[in-house]
Amino acid sequence: MDIASILDWLQQTNLAVHIRDSLFAFPLIESTHVIGLTLVFGTIAIIDLRLLGLASTNRSFQRLAADILKWTWVAFAVSAATGSLMFITNAAVYYHNAYFRAKIALLFLAAINMLVFELTTRRTVAQWDRDASAPPLGRAVAAVSLIIWISVIVTGRMIGFTTTRASLAEPAPVEQNLEELLGLPGDGAPSAPTDESK
Amino acid sequence: MKQFALWLSTTSPSVYIQEHNTWAIPVIQSIHIVGIALVMGSVLMIDLRILGWAWVDQTLRQTTNRFGPWLTGALWLLLVTGILMVIGEPVRELVTFSFWLKMALVAIGALVAVVFQRALRRHEQHWENTLVHNRSIKALAIVTFLIWVCIIFLGRLIAYDHVWGSWSPSERQ
Repeated sequence: MDIASILDWLQQTNLAVHIRDSLFAFPLIESTHVIGLTLVFGTIAIIDLRLLGLASTNRSFQRLAADILKWTWVAFAVSAATGSLMFITNAAVYYHNAYFRAKIALLFLAAINMLVFELTTRRTVAQWDRDASAPPLGRAVAAVSLIIWISVIVTGRMIGFTTTRASLAEPAPVEQNLEELLGLPGDGAPSAPTDESK
Repeated sequence: MKQFALWLSTTSPSVYIQEHNTWAIPVIQSIHIVGIALVMGSVLMIDLRILGWAWVDQTLRQTTNRFGPWLTGALWLLLVTGILMVIGEPVRELVTFSFWLKMALVAIGALVAVVFQRALRRHEQHWENTLVHNRSIKALAIVTFLIWVCIIFLGRLIAYDHVWGSWSPSERQ
């Protein structure tokens, strides 16, 4: 079974068809995805800023991590589930989208970055748990983490601007009427994002 | 409002964003999402502290000292990027039901945050010893978090205002 037929099978599943046919499903799934990802980044940022010595420096790292990381994982599970649901509605298009691929690659990098931390700096946590910041490698991991997750957000947002969900009937975009009204010249470049999800 | 939106879209800052919309709009939106993440992280932590589910080795005041400035800073960032999005796509933003309902909830959410921080500063001991254990205060913490969740939903639904049917002004035209 090649990838094309897997992608095709995914977007023909009942679930994918139901989401595509519903007026409400995709917007609600996408909104839930935003809630999940903002909680992922919002909680990870607290951890990273602690490692960098920029915030929460009066708390032990272990206590902070115990307070926060369980929520990060719940939020990540919500993001992954809703992201998968969005993916199957138009699997082939997303699969070939450069920003989608970049985002998935960045998520793998984030996982590797986390593993580096768990296998090195975290093993010696007893030595720096109450220090204002982590050892150099821990600080590097935290800085890389912040950069990766912000890039995940940017690439994720770009997916919405560079893909179309042709099968979903949509009302005529208001912007088009506006351009006609104002007589804006077409400049050859794609003047308006093609996805209604922008 | 439609007239105002159309006028706004002819102003030079709006035209600039429209002419650079392949990168300007996604970049502004991404910064807006980072701002939302900082708000959500901060609100979640303060609310978890009130509920007694996290930060219990810190006082309520210590917790709000840690997150209050980030919350306020992120809200300003959201205001600036939000205004830029309205300038860039006035009709898409202003002629929707989602946008105005969202603004009403943002006003409530921001008001709750300001009133709470003031009350805590004025009656610190009362909050630390009594109010933080009060059931209705804990309920209010959950409601506050849900308000911000609804704000995110409505923000995303600006792009899908048709879900409101005849409540959406763009559907009525």
